[in-house]
Amino acid sequence: MTQKTKPRKAPGEGSAVLPVSLLLAVLVPLLLMPLAAVFVFAFRGGFKDFLSALTAEDAQFALRFSLLIAFLTAAVNAVLGTFAAYVLAKYRFPGKKPLTIAVNLPVAIPTVVVGTSLLLLWGPIGLLGKALAPLGFSPMFAPAGVLLAHLFVTFPYMLGAVKPLLDELEVTYEEAAYTLGAGKWQTFRYVILPALRGGLFSGTLLTFAHSLGEFGATVMVSGNLRLRTQTAPLFIFAQFEAGNVEKANAVAAVLAALSFAIFFFLLRWSGPAGGRTQGH
Amino acid sequence: MGRLGSSSATRSGWPRSLLALLVWGALLLYAVWPWLPGRGRQARPRTIIVYGFSILGDALDRSVLPAFARHWRAETGERVEFVTSFAGSGTITNQLIMGVPAHLALLSLELDAQRLAAAGVIPAGSWKSLPFGGVVNRTPFILLVRPGNPKGIHDFADLGRPGVQVVHPDPLTSGGANWALLAEYGGTARHAAPGHEREAGTAVLRGVWKHVVAQAASARAARTQFENGFGDALVTYEQDAVHGNGDKEKKKKSAPKWEIVYPPSTVLSEHTLVILDKNATAEERPIVRALAAFLWSDEAQKLFVANGFRSVRDELNGANPAFGKIADPFLVADFGGWKKVKKDIVDGIWKGEILPAIGK
Repeated sequence: MTQKTKPRKAPGEGSAVLPVSLLLAVLVPLLLMPLAAVFVFAFRGGFKDFLSALTAEDAQFALRFSLLIAFLTAAVNAVLGTFAAYVLAKYRFPGKKPLTIAVNLPVAIPTVVVGTSLLLLWGPIGLLGKALAPLGFSPMFAPAGVLLAHLFVTFPYMLGAVKPLLDELEVTYEEAAYTLGAGKWQTFRYVILPALRGGLFSGTLLTFAHSLGEFGATVMVSGNLRLRTQTAPLFIFAQFEAGNVEKANAVAAVLAALSFAIFFFLLRWSGPAGGRTQGH
Repeated sequence: MGRLGSSSATRSGWPRSLLALLVWGALLLYAVWPWLPGRGRQARPRTIIVYGFSILGDALDRSVLPAFARHWRAETGERVEFVTSFAGSGTITNQLIMGVPAHLALLSLELDAQRLAAAGVIPAGSWKSLPFGGVVNRTPFILLVRPGNPKGIHDFADLGRPGVQVVHPDPLTSGGANWALLAEYGGTARHAAPGHEREAGTAVLRGVWKHVVAQAASARAARTQFENGFGDALVTYEQDAVHGNGDKEKKKKSAPKWEIVYPPSTVLSEHTLVILDKNATAEERPIVRALAAFLWSDEAQKLFVANGFRSVRDELNGANPAFGKIADPFLVADFGGWKKVKKDIVDGIWKGEILPAIGK
C-alpha cells in the first residue's frame, strides 16, 4: 500500500502520511466516533450522575450477571471446545466432515434464531421442555437458559483458536511420548496442552468477550427479567428504549471499557505466561 | 488468532502474569459477590413476577409496587421483592404464551388477554371477574408534535397532509399501536355522515399510514425515537406524554421536546390485568391476589393518576392538572369490543386494504 514513494519525499516518512490519514478519515467516523459518543453521553451529566446510574441495583446486577455468565461460558467452552478440537483433529471417523461443519455452525446462524430454537426445544411449550417441566426442570427464562444460549453461540471460538494449532502439531512429538511410555492423558497433559497455550488463551478470551456482549439469543431465552436474568446488553437496550439514555450509557461505557481491556489482554499479554493465568 | 500466542517475543515474566491473575481474580470476585454463600439474605423475601406493557415501567417499579410492598410488610411482616419486565403488549403476550413465569401481567388491550385465553395460559374470560372487568387504568390517545406545533397538527386527519412525518408504534407488537389505529379510525368515523363511517375512517387511516416514517416495537420505544428527533408527530398514550414531560423537570437544562395535541375525538385505552394462576404455587396465590386487589385500591389508583394514567374512577382524575380535555372521548365498546375491532378495523381495513395499497 505504501509503495507509491514520490521522489521528492523521504521514502520512509512521506509515503505513510497519505494512506494513514486516509485510513483515519475512514475509521474515525466509522469506529472511533460512535464509541466516543457513548462515553460523552455517559459522562454528560457529570461524574456523579454517571456513578449513581452505575451503582443502581439493576445496573449492578446486570453487570455482575453478565460477567458471571461470561466466566462460566468461558470455563465450560474452554474445556468443551478443546475436547472437540482434539477429537476432530486427531481421530478419523465416518461423518467427520459434517460434524466439523456442524460444530462451526453457531458462527453462521443469526443469534436470534439460536434463541428461538433453544426456546422451541427447552421452553415450556418446547419439544423437550414440555416433558421436563413437570420434573421441575425448565431452563428457559432462567439463568440456566442464558448460559445455554451463550455456550451455543460461543462454541466455535475455542475450536477456531485451538484446532489449527492441533492440526499443525507434529505427530512425531506425540509418537515420541508414546514410545517413551507416556499414556494418552500424560501425552495430552505434557506434550499437547503446552503447545496449545496460546490458542487456549486467545480462545477463552474471545469466548469471554463475546459472551459479555451477547444480545440476540439472550433476549429470546432470558425473559428479560430485571434482577434475575437481565444481562448488561439487555439492560442497555431496555433502558435506552425506555428513554433513560444516561442509565443505558453508563453501563454501555463500562461494557465498552471492559471489551477494550480484554482485547488489550488479547493483543499484549498473549504470551505463554499470560496463558497460565487463565488456569481454570 | 491461534498464532498470537506462539510468538515468544511477548513472553512475559512473573510480575506481569501475577498482575493479570489479580485483575481477573478481582473481576471474578466482583461477578460472584452477590451469590457468595456468606452473604445469604436473612429471610428470603417473597417474590412476585410482574410483566407489563411498555409505558407502565416507571409507575409500577417506582410507585405502585413499592407501595404494595410497604403494605404487605406492615400487615404480615414479610418482605416482598418484585421481578419485573416491560415491553410491547404483544411481545409480553407472546412471552407469556411461550411460558415466562409471570404471576401477573398488565396488558395494554383486552385482545391480548383473549389471545392468552385461547392459548390456554389463563381461563377464558377470567379477567372479567376482576373489578372493572379487569381494567386497571386508562389513558386517551393523543398526538405529540414539535414545540410550537410548526406543522399545525390538530387532529389525526392532519397527519395525512403532505410533508408530515409520523412516528408510530408497530401494531404487530404494540398494544398501544392497536389503540392508535382505533383512535385514528374511530375519531373520524364517529362524526361522519350516517352510512359513510367506514369510508371516512379508512381515508384518515390511509393518510396517517402513508406518512409513517418509523415504527417501533412498543409505544415507549416510539417515544424514544420521537425524542431523538424522528418525525413531526407521534401517536401515543397521553400518559407517556404527560409523564415524560414531568420526567424532564429533573434535567433542568433541556427544554420541552414536544407539545401535546388533544384530538377532538379519541379513544380511551383500557389496560387489562390478567392473573396467571398456573405460574403460582398454592402458597404464592394469596399474595398475588392481594397485589391484584391492591391495584384498584384508593392508594394505587391515586399513584397511577400521579404517574399520568387516568383512574377507572373518574372522581380521582382531578388530581393531575396535566390531563387535557377531550371533547368526545370514546371506548372500544362503542365499536363493538376488541374482537370486532381487530377483525374489522385492524385486520380488515389496516392490514387488508391500507398496507397493500401503500405498499408497506
